[in-house]
Amino acid sequence: MSANLIKKFQTKKTLSQLKSHDKEAFIRVYDDQAADINRFVYYKIGNREDANDLTSVIFLKTWNHIQNNSLGEGKTLRALLYRIARNAIVDYYREKSVKRALSIDDEDNQIDVPDETIDLPEQMDQAADLELIKARLPLLKEEYREVIIMKFVNDLSLEEIADITDKKRGNVRVLLHRALNALKELVEQAKNKEKISNNENSNKSQI
Amino acid sequence: MTDKEFISQLNKLRNVKTDQAWLNSNRELLLTQISNSGGAELSSWQNFVINFQSFMKTSSRPAFALGTFVVLLIVTSIFGHKLFSQAKPNDSLYIARIISEKAKLGTVLDSQERDRLAFQFAAGHAQDISTVLANPEFINSSNQDQIAKLNESFEKEINTARTKASRLTLKSTNEEEIVMIADATSTDGYLEVAEKTVDAAVPVETPKPEKLVAEEKASSTDAVPTEESIKADQILDEAKQSFERKDYNGTLNKLQEAQAIIQDGSR
Repeated sequence: MSANLIKKFQTKKTLSQLKSHDKEAFIRVYDDQAADINRFVYYKIGNREDANDLTSVIFLKTWNHIQNNSLGEGKTLRALLYRIARNAIVDYYREKSVKRALSIDDEDNQIDVPDETIDLPEQMDQAADLELIKARLPLLKEEYREVIIMKFVNDLSLEEIADITDKKRGNVRVLLHRALNALKELVEQAKNKEKISNNENSNKSQI
Repeated sequence: MTDKEFISQLNKLRNVKTDQAWLNSNRELLLTQISNSGGAELSSWQNFVINFQSFMKTSSRPAFALGTFVVLLIVTSIFGHKLFSQAKPNDSLYIARIISEKAKLGTVLDSQERDRLAFQFAAGHAQDISTVLANPEFINSSNQDQIAKLNESFEKEINTARTKASRLTLKSTNEEEIVMIADATSTDGYLEVAEKTVDAAVPVETPKPEKLVAEEKASSTDAVPTEESIKADQILDEAKQSFERKDYNGTLNKLQEAQAIIQDGSR
């Protein structure tokens, strides 16, 4: 309970400081959130350079928004950042007119996710699973992909996701469940295809 | 792949590293941009005001209010009787004093200590009633109802003090007697008698002499008043008589004397 209260106090304090044009407070927010926002944008648009540019724009827009608008009670700064990020991504697609041109497997920006706590064969299996997930994630519906990134990659709470997406908490839970199932199905399908092609290859080599 | 494994794989996607050099250079760029658009450093006074306002906004939440209430309740139950100890029976805070004293009694686990404290509180109340009634300004026709109530309260407090004092002196006497009996008999090999009195779960196999059993019964069941309890009772009785004679200073002296006896007895 006390941790929650301290968090609320900190949020209110930071918002008041930002309203009073405190640049130090804003830089603290940047240090705290920039990596998460950048990751969110990157998984949404799939391009590292553009994700960096958009992150910069998102923070500047957030600063201007706070100076010119009042925040509603119960709104968190993190939720505001994600809302602005979503709008910025929509603008980005509109400008580029490349709504589904996602390239998360960009060879120039290979995502390296090492885990040294497991042995090599298992690590290889898991790395393969992870690669499959990364490859299939862009094929998901926009809203499914978004909630998966927010919940499982950027660790937002259901309340925060509901606040960002303007949905009820229960709806977010259902959406998340469906999104997970859809992604799992895509991954399983890819795995089965891989197995079949492997079997065919081994049969051919035996013949 | 189970759901748990699947989610743990998804969690690994957060290990994607953002370029630290880009983050730092963008930080500098952002700082320049917001400085140009009115960003400034706040003074310590502004920071203080913001901290205070944020605290007030947070404190309006029910969880905070509940937490504060619980802390206040605990602090009041422990220190409240000291805080309100100066409240007199005709004060509005007197009820707070009574409640905090009851709360304090509730926190004391040792029954002897609780009785001692209850005696001190009752004697204190009786003294305060005497002090109030000793004030000539208070004694007038408009306060007749209050005076009647205070007289009634004094009676109750004296009775409570007498009950607590007798219980207190009897208890300490019983314990002393048991030890004395044990000391007297230990050389003859009858230490089990004392052990039985202290801890009933210990079986007694050795037969006891009849005289010793009789002594044990007398010390544990019959209320044998000690010199202290008789004296305290007498003094409280005298205090009551002084009160009835409206000799409030005499009442105060007697009550203080009784308190001193109980205090000495507890040592």
